[in-house]
Amino acid sequence: MSKQMKSPREIAAKRTKEILRRAIHFALETESSAVRHNTRTFNRSRYRATSSLPDYDALKDEARRIKEASLANRMALVQQLSESVMRNGGHFFFARDAREACQYVQEVCKRRQVRSMVKGKSMTSEEIHLNTALERDGIRVVETDLAEFILQAADEQPSHIVGPAIHYSRERITALFRRKFQTDLPLDTGEELTRFARERLRSDFLAADAGFTGANLVSAECGSLLLVESEANIRLSCIAPPLHIALTGLEKIVPSRREFAPFIELLAASGTGQPLSSYTSVFRPPLPVPVSDFRGAGPATREFHMVIVDNGREALAQDARLSEALYCIRCSACLNSCANFQVLGGHGFGGATYSGGIGATWEAATTGELKLARFSDLCTGCSRCVPQCPVRIDIPGLNVELRSRLNQLVPLSIVARTLHLLLGVPPVENASTQQIFFAHYDRVARWGTFFAPLSNFATRIPGARWFLEKSFGIDRRRHLAAFPKKTWVEIAAKELTAMADSHRGPDVLVLADVFTNYGAPQRGVDAIRCLRAAGARVRLTKSLPDGRAALSQGMIETARIQAETLSKYLAAENAAGRPLLVVEPSVLAMILREYRKLLSAESFANLRSFTGDLMEFLARHLAQQAGDPRAIFDIRKFAPGPKIFYHAHCQQRAVCDPSVTVEFLQRLGFQVTCSQVECCGMAGSFGYKKDFYDVSQAVSEELVEQWKAAESANGPHTLLASGISCIEQLQGATGRVVLHPVELLAKML
Amino acid sequence: MEVVGRSPEAVRDAVLARSSGKRPILLAEPHYLSLDFFRPLLCVEGVISRPRPDDYRTAPVGVTDAFAAVARTGSVCVDIGADIAGYVSLLPRLHIAVVDIHKLVFRPSDLFRLEPFARPTYQENFVFISGPSATADMGPLVRGVHGPHELHILVLS
Repeated sequence: MSKQMKSPREIAAKRTKEILRRAIHFALETESSAVRHNTRTFNRSRYRATSSLPDYDALKDEARRIKEASLANRMALVQQLSESVMRNGGHFFFARDAREACQYVQEVCKRRQVRSMVKGKSMTSEEIHLNTALERDGIRVVETDLAEFILQAADEQPSHIVGPAIHYSRERITALFRRKFQTDLPLDTGEELTRFARERLRSDFLAADAGFTGANLVSAECGSLLLVESEANIRLSCIAPPLHIALTGLEKIVPSRREFAPFIELLAASGTGQPLSSYTSVFRPPLPVPVSDFRGAGPATREFHMVIVDNGREALAQDARLSEALYCIRCSACLNSCANFQVLGGHGFGGATYSGGIGATWEAATTGELKLARFSDLCTGCSRCVPQCPVRIDIPGLNVELRSRLNQLVPLSIVARTLHLLLGVPPVENASTQQIFFAHYDRVARWGTFFAPLSNFATRIPGARWFLEKSFGIDRRRHLAAFPKKTWVEIAAKELTAMADSHRGPDVLVLADVFTNYGAPQRGVDAIRCLRAAGARVRLTKSLPDGRAALSQGMIETARIQAETLSKYLAAENAAGRPLLVVEPSVLAMILREYRKLLSAESFANLRSFTGDLMEFLARHLAQQAGDPRAIFDIRKFAPGPKIFYHAHCQQRAVCDPSVTVEFLQRLGFQVTCSQVECCGMAGSFGYKKDFYDVSQAVSEELVEQWKAAESANGPHTLLASGISCIEQLQGATGRVVLHPVELLAKML
Repeated sequence: MEVVGRSPEAVRDAVLARSSGKRPILLAEPHYLSLDFFRPLLCVEGVISRPRPDDYRTAPVGVTDAFAAVARTGSVCVDIGADIAGYVSLLPRLHIAVVDIHKLVFRPSDLFRLEPFARPTYQENFVFISGPSATADMGPLVRGVHGPHELHILVLS
């Protein structure tokens, strides 16, 4: 299909699921290897750079506060900026939409008789389609950022907000330049390609009538711009031509230059992973520097225009559930740390201008068309981007909100409407058959377990998987775990009450989450056995849905009802405030993170105060005890040996510290190699869906590679993972048994 | 980066050594260091302090002073608002920045906290320069794009 496609522009606007599917396949087939290499390089550099920032967390807090305060005061700042720019001798224009912004720039160019313009990278100018407007007037627009230079030659949309051409390998750039520029110059290395572009562009810089830039931040008090770059094309665009036009969104204005300070190091570390980019400029145009007469056009005076663009931002600021997106400083940390983005890039996971998890809100807001946020379906809610965002935007939260709104646009099938009635789904959800199916995992699993083994047999009869794929979009290539005959709660009630508590240790409550209860009851039993062996007195809760499954389908109201029910039950059940321990990380993260938005502040704080990760509790508890934990968990009883390859669940890493588990296992005598990937690719229901199966498989490749590398270096390893879907994914990809840490420990009792 | 003696001759010798015979050398009039530090350099043949537009196109070396240096990020802060420092620090392939060791701060944010700096009129136009111009857009990391291919910092002890 991608063979017929002339340009990725055809799949830029993802209004329908069909276009999204085409885009995914195009990206996986054509662009994935360059995107993987480039995003993962950025990602590794970012981890290095942010870990060396002594006050990383404090900087993030400060940056967030500045953005909150500036956005709250945005119109006053716009007014103040306009006065500052005019006081400096510049011109100011506030553009309500893309058309007004383009018209203004066109008029300035016409008046100044601009024939050629050199341009720094600016996503806002992409958003308003400025080049098209100027080219219509006969102006030669030259993109001077080398990535934009490539895109202009190829006529493609950006695939990344910091490296817009990350989908191009060196080899593809060589082929493109040969075709486009018809040259015999050597173009076979990065050096040669750069030299070619530099020499072409140097004369353009010196001959240009106008320079165009965006801005990373703007100071309202003095009209100064913060401009971050590494190629020096922005500096040249500001200083070489006599006319400078700077254009940016209203969200970039901060009160004064002092507010630039925390962003300077934060942006470089979060973006390219450097202590600082080569050039961080603080300019207050028009520059007081004489215009050097490169053009031979005689003396000229400098002229500066500041264009501030609304184009949907004001409406976004007033949209309480999405307005947080305006804090974005375009660093790309969320893209580079996103497992799906790492295999797709922005042509698959992005729109005409903005890409990745943060991009969907931006694409919808700046075009005014919600449908264009369709690619938000590629956000699995894994939350790996959340701790990476320098202004702490809850990006998965934005995408859940978008999904909920997108659900409203689709007329329901008769089957879906019937399911709404049968299951008592709140009418406001307007959820599809597939969404209802995945959101009600607890119901599906309850019936499946009730009718087991008949239900398991049913999925194996010819045509059953075809039916599941057609009706619910469950990919037929995906292995479906068998329903157990007995649930965790049932086994615990029958067998475990017979086991005597040792009454030495703490009272704990274990959450019978629906995934473990129906999907891996024996794991739940193992968890209880481990806790008891460590001396804890254990009670198991009822198994109630926590809302995670519903939330991931954008069914916020269903999730809220489930969260409230569970929260009330737990508050009553746990008046004593015993530790509530959770085996399944996605449920733990649901309670510790997502409940903030679903429950009252009081209920959330109460629940949060006593909820924790079961393995972490066990490790910390035993660390405080006098005895040696090796007396309880004896590694000699685990025949496969001490080498372990461990993958910690993505959402777990957002809410607790998996290194506690690793250190505990090391204390027991294991040699632990940890995966270095953001997510396994399964992400709950995501990897089961027909539309996303290939993405999920592509994401898992890196994890499998790392496991293979560990084995080829050091011999066989036991595979260990902490989430139920990670375990499924790894088992599917490796054909090996994968254990949960509690299952490993239970084998050592 | 190298630390050099606090004398006009040491500045001249260090600049000439780094320029390895390339001429012309463009020198932007210093605004933070005394001009005296640069007088011996100005007497060297091929050192130009009043370039014509064509000199910018061809000169291989540019020398400016810097009003501060930042230890953690390895940056120098060059005021480009005055005179020709903006061009001299940008167009030649080698940029040599000379900075007083007493103007060293630890982090970029330290500059913004300094009282005179907080005034909007102080150093209106400047650049934190932290390396040569570079790109990874063409595949591997390449040094030397639209700006200098090489940055050399001389710190006056």
